[in-house]
Amino acid sequence: MSKIEAIWLPEVQQQVFRGLMEVMSRPGKTENLSELTNNASPARALLATLLDGEVNLCDHHNLLDDADWPLLQAQKVAVEHATTILCRGDSAVDFEPLLGELSSPEHSAMIVLVVENISEGNSHLSLSGPGVNGIISVKISGLNRDWLNQREEWISSFPLGVDLLLVDDSHVMALSRTTKIEVTSWVM
Amino acid sequence: MTAMRKANAAYPFGFLDEYAKKEVRRTVLKAIAIPGYQVPYSSREMPMGRGFGTGGLQLTLSIIGEDDTLKVIDQGSDDSVNAVNLRSFIEMTCDGIDTTDITDKANLIQSRHRIPEKPLREDQIIVLQVPYPDPLVVVEPSEDKRKIMHGEADYSRLLVKLYEDIVKFDEITISHRYPTCINGHYVIDPSPIPRWDVPKLHQSKALVLLGAGREKKIYAVPPYTDAEPLAFDDMPFRVESFNDENGQRRCCDRCGDDTSFLDEFDGQGGEKVYQCSDSDWCREQSIAKGA
Repeated sequence: MSKIEAIWLPEVQQQVFRGLMEVMSRPGKTENLSELTNNASPARALLATLLDGEVNLCDHHNLLDDADWPLLQAQKVAVEHATTILCRGDSAVDFEPLLGELSSPEHSAMIVLVVENISEGNSHLSLSGPGVNGIISVKISGLNRDWLNQREEWISSFPLGVDLLLVDDSHVMALSRTTKIEVTSWVM
Repeated sequence: MTAMRKANAAYPFGFLDEYAKKEVRRTVLKAIAIPGYQVPYSSREMPMGRGFGTGGLQLTLSIIGEDDTLKVIDQGSDDSVNAVNLRSFIEMTCDGIDTTDITDKANLIQSRHRIPEKPLREDQIIVLQVPYPDPLVVVEPSEDKRKIMHGEADYSRLLVKLYEDIVKFDEITISHRYPTCINGHYVIDPSPIPRWDVPKLHQSKALVLLGAGREKKIYAVPPYTDAEPLAFDDMPFRVESFNDENGQRRCCDRCGDDTSFLDEFDGQGGEKVYQCSDSDWCREQSIAKGA
């Protein structure tokens, strides 16, 4: 008898969501999802937690297996129309995501960026803004700086913008559109 | 009651189906990402009338898990009708959760019209039940126009409304649902909490989620976010005063505390009696003072 992978179980999705809610509430904070999901990739875990047939997804760099799509149920759309986008963080940005509208900023994209490491790395960022008690420093590796440059443009007209979820092999971290980022050192 | 509990065995954990929970969860993340913005969602029918806290209930049911300890309060009390019924419903549909009356022990608090006196911690989440989410509804009937006004942070007509209050009454007369600016942009209706509780939203350590089931909106005040009640330079925001005619701060009749928000009611002899609105706070103060 085949066993259902943990990320598709409602009780696991509830715990993954609580982790997501925590990191979205507190940009720069990381949550380890690997124990909850039996070492499944955090990107797949959070997509399984948030998506269903009512929303769409663009797997911009084909990071998902074909077998994931029927379970995710999300509609496949082009990246310019996607409300959820899965990308490699080490690639340069080659699209314009949905930024929402002034009256409906929620019609904007949430971008899941797969990077090498969000707990250690030679690229150092200082974060401030809602959810951050003063300033928090984070270390990242495997993120193309182009993402931060493009993000600055995308979020320049608040409330329009995008929200980033950075994931590595085990952890997730959020950079919401209100987070102010200062690059203190950068090594790609 | 036995029949109800048996019937509930057929419901999934948290009563809502997983699709409903996912939608609420997606909405919550957007609400946190855009502080103060009222994110629309398709509020589900619940087994109670809209207006009885269905928005807060849907939020709680969508985020709660077996590891959570829940506290439900109504006007500061754990024992009033709304709180008792909501707690009972959540207990029946969420096997394995713990409930408590003690603010310190809860990591998830659903509340109608109060924020606990005890400062909330980073590991706590408060869900507020909201009847009317849009503070602009008193100056603009069209929701389409209100959404644009919110997007542009155009609150001039709301400020005029507050100014008219000052002209007529020498002060802003809003006693609850005091319009509050979140992170310098969106102005929210913080639910019918008294003015006393509004400063607790500012740079709160806890995440504040607000759910309006009837109006189908969810919004949030993330932790460590500015929440500033609308006011004027020469007419600053002030909270309720509990001073008597001699300028003395009134005390709780039960625990003697003179720092909390007080409820006023008539005593047996017709005299005015004051007691802490927050029943857990009152209990704690009573124990501390050996009352």
